[in-house]
Amino acid sequence: MFNFENFEIKLDTDVIGRNFIYCEEVESTNAELLNEENGIDIDGTVLLAEKQNNGKGRKDRKWYSAKDQNLTFSILLKRKISERKVNLVNFAAALAVSYTLENLFQIRVNLKWPNDVLIGHSKISGILIESTIRGSKINKLVIGIGFNVNQIAFQGSYIIPPTSIRKELNQEVDRERVLSDLLNNFEDLLNRVDENPEGVLNDWKDRCRMLGEKIMIQDENYSKSGIFEDVDEQGFLMLRTDRDTVEKIHFGDVSLR
Amino acid sequence: MDLELIKKLVKLIDSSGITDFSVEEGDTKIKISKRSSGSHAQPVMQPVSLQPEESSPKREMPALEKTAEARPSNLHEIRSPIVGTFYRAPAPDADSFVKMGDSVTPGKVLCIIEAMKLMNEIESDVAGKIVKVLVENGKPVEYNQPLFLIEV
Repeated sequence: MFNFENFEIKLDTDVIGRNFIYCEEVESTNAELLNEENGIDIDGTVLLAEKQNNGKGRKDRKWYSAKDQNLTFSILLKRKISERKVNLVNFAAALAVSYTLENLFQIRVNLKWPNDVLIGHSKISGILIESTIRGSKINKLVIGIGFNVNQIAFQGSYIIPPTSIRKELNQEVDRERVLSDLLNNFEDLLNRVDENPEGVLNDWKDRCRMLGEKIMIQDENYSKSGIFEDVDEQGFLMLRTDRDTVEKIHFGDVSLR
Repeated sequence: MDLELIKKLVKLIDSSGITDFSVEEGDTKIKISKRSSGSHAQPVMQPVSLQPEESSPKREMPALEKTAEARPSNLHEIRSPIVGTFYRAPAPDADSFVKMGDSVTPGKVLCIIEAMKLMNEIESDVAGKIVKVLVENGKPVEYNQPLFLIEV
């Protein structure tokens, strides 16, 4: 069971998580916040579910998480976000998870473009951001975060092997403390996306060990390889291809070659 | 054949209102045609026959221009607000959000544009009918690139 008092006492934000919705079971926390019929409209709302029946990732991939053991939640942003900076929210979310792992547990992370958080080669957190855009204005931005906290056994097959904080430390940790710390970090990072986007990009690059390496980017329609040279000011991946030209990559699964 | 007879025939026909004349005598056949200035007859005829052809496309052109002018008034363009990849369906094996001929209302999701791991649902801002899908599924799109034409 989630202890609200322990969560709130550590929450040090102005907006993020101040409106907090707790659900035992939903289809998907992102879908709940995106659904207009639910009438959830407050900037910074956090919706946490103990169990997602249809937790999703990119391209409708599934996110499996054991009930009551991890953190599966979504954050609603209704504030004005420039279309040119919106991709940096991906980095802000991955960094919020990273700071929590580093500051509370001294765990070193490895970030994978665009927003996976790995420990070594295992995935501890996945992020999926969804927005609704009408008439070229962002109406809603929903940041879905799955964070493996206390789960030890992971059954089934995974594209990237999973891990959790408990697996890394061999001890159970306080989910409430993890969530409040993560939300504190995220609010701070959102402000930095506005005021100092270069700083956010540099923090992300400092934790990305694939930078400068030979990588492969794949999707069902294409596969490209080259050197992961840099990320541009919008967060797009700059790939130096064999033909010695630099291409901007907007999406795809990145792996080391 | 008597050359004098031919000369006489030519004179006779030239002074008459006859334009075509032929006569057969045994294995000899004489054919005289009088079309204004003989060998120039064909080239003269050609422009005459061309004129109606030229005038018919001319008559169609203003009609085409009229429909082109009418486009902006009742056709609404949905443009891409971001750089990314265009998807017509929520998942690779799912049905398209909309297809040609579908009626849409404001808020109806038309497509997803993915940039990094950010899935942007592009909603219609008008009510109307989808008359054209301008981008192929899975193709990259640029800022402000037209995606759909909606008849309002």
